[in-house]
Amino acid sequence: MKNLRDKYCLVGVGETEYSRGSNRTTRALAVEAVRAAILDAGLTASDVDGMLDYQSGDSTLANHVAPDLGIRLNFYMDVMGGGSSTEALIGLAMGAIEAGMCNTLAIYRSMNGYSEFRIGGTGARAAQPVRGLDLAQVPFGMRSAGQNFAPTFLRHMYEYGTTSEQVAHVKVAHSKHASQNPKALLKDRVTVQDVVGSRWIVKPLHLLDCCLETDNATCLIVTTAERARDCRQRPVSIMGVAGRVSKPRLDFHWAHGPITRVAGYYAKDIVFGQAGIGPEDVDVTGSYDAFTFTTMLQLEEYGFCKKGEGGQYVSSGVIELGGRRPNNTAGGHLCEGYTHGMSMVIENVRQLRGTVDDYCPKAAEGVHTYDYAPGRCRQVKDAEIAMNLGWAMPPLGSALIMRR
Amino acid sequence: MAEYAKPLPEITAESRPFWEGCKRHQFLVQRCRACGARQHYPRGICAACWSDDLEWLPSAGRGTVYAFTVTYRTQARGFRDELPYVLAYVELEEGVQVLTNLVGGEPATLRIGMPVRVTFEDVSADVSIPRFTPA
Ligand SMILES: [Zn+2]
Repeated sequence: MKNLRDKYCLVGVGETEYSRGSNRTTRALAVEAVRAAILDAGLTASDVDGMLDYQSGDSTLANHVAPDLGIRLNFYMDVMGGGSSTEALIGLAMGAIEAGMCNTLAIYRSMNGYSEFRIGGTGARAAQPVRGLDLAQVPFGMRSAGQNFAPTFLRHMYEYGTTSEQVAHVKVAHSKHASQNPKALLKDRVTVQDVVGSRWIVKPLHLLDCCLETDNATCLIVTTAERARDCRQRPVSIMGVAGRVSKPRLDFHWAHGPITRVAGYYAKDIVFGQAGIGPEDVDVTGSYDAFTFTTMLQLEEYGFCKKGEGGQYVSSGVIELGGRRPNNTAGGHLCEGYTHGMSMVIENVRQLRGTVDDYCPKAAEGVHTYDYAPGRCRQVKDAEIAMNLGWAMPPLGSALIMRR
Repeated sequence: MAEYAKPLPEITAESRPFWEGCKRHQFLVQRCRACGARQHYPRGICAACWSDDLEWLPSAGRGTVYAFTVTYRTQARGFRDELPYVLAYVELEEGVQVLTNLVGGEPATLRIGMPVRVTFEDVSADVSIPRFTPA
C-alpha cells in the first residue's frame, strides 16, 4: 500500500455547543462548525474547495452547507455512516487531494442526536429501517447499539474475567477529564460505585456505561503539509490512517471468528505500518466510547495491552490525565457529548498543538498548569503522538495516528 | 388469537422457505450443494463459494448459548411491555449460529454454554417465531 505519511495535515478544528436541545437545524449547526474550523485554520471560504460529511439520513448535505458559507466546491461527497467515519473520511480527503480533485477539504458531522434523531429509537425521526438482515433482528427485539454490542462484552467477561468495576474506570477517567472541559455536558466526576450502582439498560451495561445523546456539529480541515505551513495553527501531521476496516463478516460477525475480537485486529497493522511506530510510542489515545467497554476492547486490540487484559489496563490509571497515556481527554462520548467520533479527533489535534480549551487562563496561548485537580488543566505535557480508534460496532472500525 | 404487538419479520424471497419451516415448527438451515457449507441467515447464494444451488436442512433445534444480553430498557414495540427480555446468539449442533430470544428461564439463571432447544411461538396465521429455551 502507498504510504503518505506526513504529507497531509489537520489544520483546523471547530464545533458548536454540545446541548440536549439545540432548537436549530442541522444545516445551521453545520454552517457554524465549518465556519469555526476554517477560521481556526486562518483560512477563508475561497481556500476551501472540498467537502465531506457523514450522516445516517439525519442531517444536511454539503450542497446546502457549502452555499450557505459562500464556498465553491471542486469536490464533495455525502457519506452514509456513523462512528468510525471521521478517520475514514480523513483518509478519503487525502485521496481526493492526491488525485488532484481539490486542495483543501472540510469534513463535518451535524446531528440533533438528542432532540430529533435518536439512535435505536422509534417514531417519525427514528433510525430508518434496514431491509433484509435487520428485519430478521427486529422480530427478536434487537434495536439498539447497546443490545448489539453487549453480548461481546458479556463474552469478554466470561473468557477473560473482565469485571464491570474494571470497565467502570473508563467512565471515571472520562468524567475526570470532562471536569476540565468547559464544553462538556457532564462535568461532575463519578466513582466506580456510581457506575455499577446505576440501573441496567442492557445487561451487562449500566446507565453510566452508555454515552450521551447530544445535539451538535463538528468539523475538521485537511490540506497538504505544504499549504499547512501557511495556516494559523501549528500543523498536525497525519502519520497513518485505516478506514472502516471490518471483520470477516459485518452482519453476524460473532458467527465468524471470536465475538470478543474487534475490527482493530485487522486495522492495527495498516495504521501502525503506515506510521512506522508502535503503541508504546503513542502519548494520547482517543478510543471511541459509545460505551465504557468499547474503549477497553479497542485499546487491547490495538496492542496497548495484551488481549484479554483490557480490564486491568483501563483500571490501572494509565488512561487518566496524569497517567502514562490518557484517553479521551475532553471527556469523550460518555461525558463531553456524542458526536459520532469527530470530537475525539478534534481533542487530539488540540492536544498536539498544546492548546486544549481547559480552564487554564492562558490556554489559548498554550500556557498550561498541568494541575489535574477538578476545574483546572487537561493538557497532556509534551504530547507528540496521538492516536484515534474509531468504532462503529464490534466488526467495524477506523484508526488514525497524528503527530505534532 | 390475541393481537401480536411485536414487529413481524419482513419475509423476502430468500427467507420465505425458512419462515414456512417455522410455520411447521421446523428450524431450517441453508446448505450449499456445491461446497457443503451451511449458513444462517438465509441468503440467495452461498457466501463461501457463490453457488446458488442451495438446499434446506432441518435442524434438530438443539444448541448452546454463545453470548446474550438482557434488555431492561427499549423502545421496541411489544417488547417494551415485557421487560426484561433476553437476546442471545445460539450455536446450533448443525454448526451455524443464530440470533434469537431466550425464553422460559429467569434471566439470572442464564449462562454462556448452557444447552437450549428451539420453541416456536405461533404469532399469526402465517408466522411462527423461533425462540430458544433451556433444554
Ligand atoms: Zn458453497
